[in-house]
Amino acid sequence: MFIWSFALISGITMVWLLAWAIRRGEFQNMREGARMIFDDQEPAGLVTDHFPGEPR
Amino acid sequence: MSRTFILALGIFLTIASSITGLVIIPNWQFKALQPIVKLDGTRYPEPYFGEQAKGREIYINQGCIYCHTQQVRMKGYGADIRRGWGTRRSVPRDYLMDRPHQLGTMRTGPDLASIGARQPSAEWHALHLYNPQITSPGSVMPRFEYFFREVYDGEVIPNDAVKIPRGRQASNATHIVPTDRGRAVIAYLKRLNQSYPLPEANQ
Amino acid sequence: MIAQPLPPAIGPEFEARVEVDGSSRAVVVLFWGTSLLWLTVASLAGIISSIKLHSPDFLGGIEWLTFGRIRAVHWDTAIYGFGGLAASGTLLWLQARLCQVRLPYRNLLLVGGVVFNIGILLGVIGILMGQSTGVETLEFPLWAMPLLVVPYVFIVIANFTMYFKKVTKHTYVSQWYLMAVTVWFPILVLSAEACTNLGAVDGVAQAIANWWYGHNVVGLFATPTGIAAAYYLIPKVIGKPIHSYHLSLLGFWSNAIFYNWAGTHHLTGGPLPAWTITLGVVGSLMMFIPVITIGINHHMTMLGSFHLLKTSPTLRFAVMGSMVYTLSSFQGSLEALRSHQEVTHFTHYTIGHVHFGMYGFFAPLMFAMMYYGMPRLMDQEWSSARLIRIHFWCTLVGMLIYVFAMCYAGIRQGLMMNDPAVPFLNIVRFTIPYLGLRTLGGVILLSGTIAFLINFIRIITPHKYTWATPTLLDSERDWRKVVAKEKEQ
Repeated sequence: MFIWSFALISGITMVWLLAWAIRRGEFQNMREGARMIFDDQEPAGLVTDHFPGEPR
Repeated sequence: MSRTFILALGIFLTIASSITGLVIIPNWQFKALQPIVKLDGTRYPEPYFGEQAKGREIYINQGCIYCHTQQVRMKGYGADIRRGWGTRRSVPRDYLMDRPHQLGTMRTGPDLASIGARQPSAEWHALHLYNPQITSPGSVMPRFEYFFREVYDGEVIPNDAVKIPRGRQASNATHIVPTDRGRAVIAYLKRLNQSYPLPEANQ
Repeated sequence: MIAQPLPPAIGPEFEARVEVDGSSRAVVVLFWGTSLLWLTVASLAGIISSIKLHSPDFLGGIEWLTFGRIRAVHWDTAIYGFGGLAASGTLLWLQARLCQVRLPYRNLLLVGGVVFNIGILLGVIGILMGQSTGVETLEFPLWAMPLLVVPYVFIVIANFTMYFKKVTKHTYVSQWYLMAVTVWFPILVLSAEACTNLGAVDGVAQAIANWWYGHNVVGLFATPTGIAAAYYLIPKVIGKPIHSYHLSLLGFWSNAIFYNWAGTHHLTGGPLPAWTITLGVVGSLMMFIPVITIGINHHMTMLGSFHLLKTSPTLRFAVMGSMVYTLSSFQGSLEALRSHQEVTHFTHYTIGHVHFGMYGFFAPLMFAMMYYGMPRLMDQEWSSARLIRIHFWCTLVGMLIYVFAMCYAGIRQGLMMNDPAVPFLNIVRFTIPYLGLRTLGGVILLSGTIAFLINFIRIITPHKYTWATPTLLDSERDWRKVVAKEKEQ
């Protein structure tokens, strides 16, 4: 009984928070956020790590 | 800026809620708990004093907790009671005097919640601590020989000496005498006893 | 062989990155370097305690090396020495890079790093001398704690300063985790110390506080740092944005909400009110949500790029870490179930699980971070590809041997313990070969660490290793020289 009410309350809170976040526009420009780790010298598509001194 | 604040606040609330729910609320629940007055007028649990308190400190600083628990699980959950580690399950009142707690989470060795009831003999504890192989062959417990002074063949044997059984003598030592620390640890171990039937343990 | 496009021409973003990396060099190298020294100490202490469990007379009769002390030293140096320093180095380097600001308060952080190390050293000496507090994972004597807490406050301040000064418009997933760590960790330590060693609560409530902390120091300190590293390294190395940014948001918040309730499963069956344990079990089971979302995100990003595991050391460690994260989290959630705990609680299974998480997930991600970061910080390549390979295979094989030995032995041990007809000493005898196997696993892990340490010492010494085939960094190095020259003029 306790488990279910706890799960229900936390579930409802989660959904409510999610709806609130969407309304605030938190989910816009997601794509850009994911791409911000790349830059002009290490653009997306470039592999940036290799064993030293070995052919790739 | 305000978004950062909300992020930080959310992060803070997650942890604040769990410590409130898991630690502070149960602590309120336990605040009302008092030692019980037994039929013979003594109280259970009693505070640790003297040798017992000193023994408890040694138990802590030797790290006994990493292999021994002090908690008996209820009947039907594990075999703690059937193994004879206790006569009833442990309840919060058993730990009223424990600071810091030594519940433990590992049973490389057996549970010690009621070791004082199971092994009331100081001689047994002395031999077991001095060299666990004497009383429990095959044990992986460390030897705590530094809690004892060895008495060699031909020396005067003090009154409180414990005889090492023949065949178990690794050196010329025939007897051991517990030092102050040895006596303290044994006093603490002998005190560990949760056999008093607290009413809430039957629920 | 995959054709690699040449890096495009130098631009302002690249210059900024080189400058940011340069600003964090001394501090991050100090944190990472000393973390590896502590990992070596922790491994040695672990091996000594492991040997003592199958050959109790090994170094027997020496009080300061007794099992109960060296075992505490092992875990505390692993979690604070290696974990604390490696994670803090990672935090400072990543946050500076992602905010694109120079690392602030560098001198303060350098002093902080040194003080933190002294704090751990004194704490270790305290435990060996018999001043352990007796509260698991908070064993360091109270007088040593300020030496750990104050430097960490510097790190928190530096982290927030960087975040408020950030140049970038967006916040990357890793940054949420890093921010969270700096909020959680100080609160965790201070409130746990208050509730246990400072005596704000007593008896059983103290045990709950202890395991609330013991579980959270792994879950809210090591885990988020590891996840932050994986979220950065996997997309960065393979050059592909993270699979789903939306999922990462869900993963972050569900992790934040559920993980910190899970600790009480360490006391299942104990003398606690049943509802506190129920909360712990529910929290542990709810962890499936973040674990699955984070897993999908990492593994889907990797999809189609597995051939790069052959050529990228960073990726090897990062992918090993993220895969074990999924597996060990599943294992952990199931472990919390009462029926599971009835058998495996109080056995070596738990030890196996901890090492699966710490040495299969957290440590490889920290290694990956160092493999990726050090050449960029030191402006020179790792000296030996062979040592990297030795390190990787030792880590993987040693970890698997260790985890298998402990988990299998733990289940058998638990089943026997629940059968009162089996004498206790028979159980002890049964576990001994597996405890021996664990020592073997530990020695293999230590060998890997030593290989890494050699490579690490070589990369921080000024000797330049040159290669017939240039790595990416060599072209970068030329650009750095151009940048440096332009600065001088």
